[in-house]
Amino acid sequence: MKIDCAFVERVLCAFVREELGKAGFRRGVVGLSGGLDSSVSAALAAEALGPKNVLGLILPYGRSYAADTEDARDLARRLKIRFRVLDIAPMVDAYFRAVPSKIRTLKGNKMARERMSVLYDFSAREKALIIGTSNKTELLIGYGTVHGDMACALNPLGDLYKTQVRQLAAHLRLPERILKKKPTAGLWPGQTDEDEIGLSYDELDRILYRLVDLRLSKAEVVSSGFARAKVERILVMIKKSQFKRCMPPIAKISSRTIGHDFLYPYDWGR
Amino acid sequence: MLIALAQISPVLGEVDKNLRLHIKFIDKALQKGANVIVFPELSLTGYRLRDLTAEAALVPETSAPFGELVRLSRRISIVAGFVEATASGRFYNAAAFLSGGRILHIHRKVFLPTFGMFEEARFFAPGRDFRTFDSPLGRTGLMICRDFLQLSSGSLLQAGGAETIIVLSAAPGRGGTEGQGHAFATSRMWELMGETLSFFTSAFVVYCNRSGFEDGAAFAGGSFVYTPLGRLLAKAAYAEKDFLFAEIDRREILRARRLWSWTRDDKPEVALRVLQRVFHRHED
Repeated sequence: MKIDCAFVERVLCAFVREELGKAGFRRGVVGLSGGLDSSVSAALAAEALGPKNVLGLILPYGRSYAADTEDARDLARRLKIRFRVLDIAPMVDAYFRAVPSKIRTLKGNKMARERMSVLYDFSAREKALIIGTSNKTELLIGYGTVHGDMACALNPLGDLYKTQVRQLAAHLRLPERILKKKPTAGLWPGQTDEDEIGLSYDELDRILYRLVDLRLSKAEVVSSGFARAKVERILVMIKKSQFKRCMPPIAKISSRTIGHDFLYPYDWGR
Repeated sequence: MLIALAQISPVLGEVDKNLRLHIKFIDKALQKGANVIVFPELSLTGYRLRDLTAEAALVPETSAPFGELVRLSRRISIVAGFVEATASGRFYNAAAFLSGGRILHIHRKVFLPTFGMFEEARFFAPGRDFRTFDSPLGRTGLMICRDFLQLSSGSLLQAGGAETIIVLSAAPGRGGTEGQGHAFATSRMWELMGETLSFFTSAFVVYCNRSGFEDGAAFAGGSFVYTPLGRLLAKAAYAEKDFLFAEIDRREILRARRLWSWTRDDKPEVALRVLQRVFHRHED
């Protein structure tokens, strides 16, 4: 699972630069949380596009994550990218005043989609594309809000497991605080990914790597030294979240249908 | 003979833009005094065409962009990739060797990768031949990308007397893990075959891959030339644009064949007999 960080860095920077360039853009927007993934995405974007062409949007919910907000500001300053802080609490609170709920994930998802909404608005204002921050681990187990933090125009990190993103972050010399921080989706105060998923990223990634990259069967993964219950739970998470990784199905009526047999590449004409 | 390998990144589905890109590199190659320029697989169209296949297809005898390259081949031999449309309505992933204002040869890709991230057989008809022809590089054979990775393709070109084997490729890189060579893991398999085939056929192997990204996939670059003694003569950068030049001295073919008798001792008639027997029991 070890990656050749210098090579991966070069490929991902070229990807960001060329993909944006082909689409006719020079600038990128990244939502900065103060966590590992968004910091790596921002660092790659700054290197690929030049710091002045990157806007970091720091979108805290009130004062609940003040330390993370400060880490995000610190990162933006280190990377010399432009940044802006916008509190999303007024928008989110206005909504829940109208339709209150005690379910924490509802509020977490709303926050993620509110951030998406701001990112897309700034994408248009800035004539910039949104550079995604979802890693391969969370995409595979569906640990993300559909149309929320998963929304972007291009994603440099989507084929790197969380532990590989951490290797890359160390290679990019990101601040120690960000490298050491317990990963959290920030859905509610005190939440951590590993508590909620019930597995450490280290173990989760090693199981996913065997199942997905090496195409080992469940039995083979179990016999290579992992608890059957954990492997089974991961397989369920992958299967149940498939909808988050695909465009919604279109009911086929005609002889040529989008998504079925209207097959043009994403980079059509680019 | 100075040979140029253009490790370019074509625009997907835009033949006219790609023709201009070809002309730019042809001009540069001419300035350097090159005799031959090789472009990657589907260099006139881009690789991941899907439904653009028909729209980007060319008829060698009548299509204007193709005619333009044929005209330019009076000044420099050109090897380029394109989608060939036939009168019967088929489309081939094809490569042309143009020289002296003529089409010397067109190869249609035989092995169309259709698994995992590849879906070529969904859009292309397969070629059915490996034929050698005379060119300024001596007896020459063409392959397209995956053709190169089937051992039989190399054997057939060897049986045809190939002295230079040219491979046009659009190979995406996969596997960056545990790499120490600042390359995708898959680059190694192309080099392995390049080294092996050049040595055991005592022929030059010229491999031109592309660069750039299509739909998120990075093309691995790393174009190379191996000599008839299996020595790496030149290698382009991995996973980025490059323009590689190599001086090919045809006397090296004879030198290699004096040292090693692989090609003299080849027995295609044995292969034919065995293949005929095996063919009848072949499980498909």
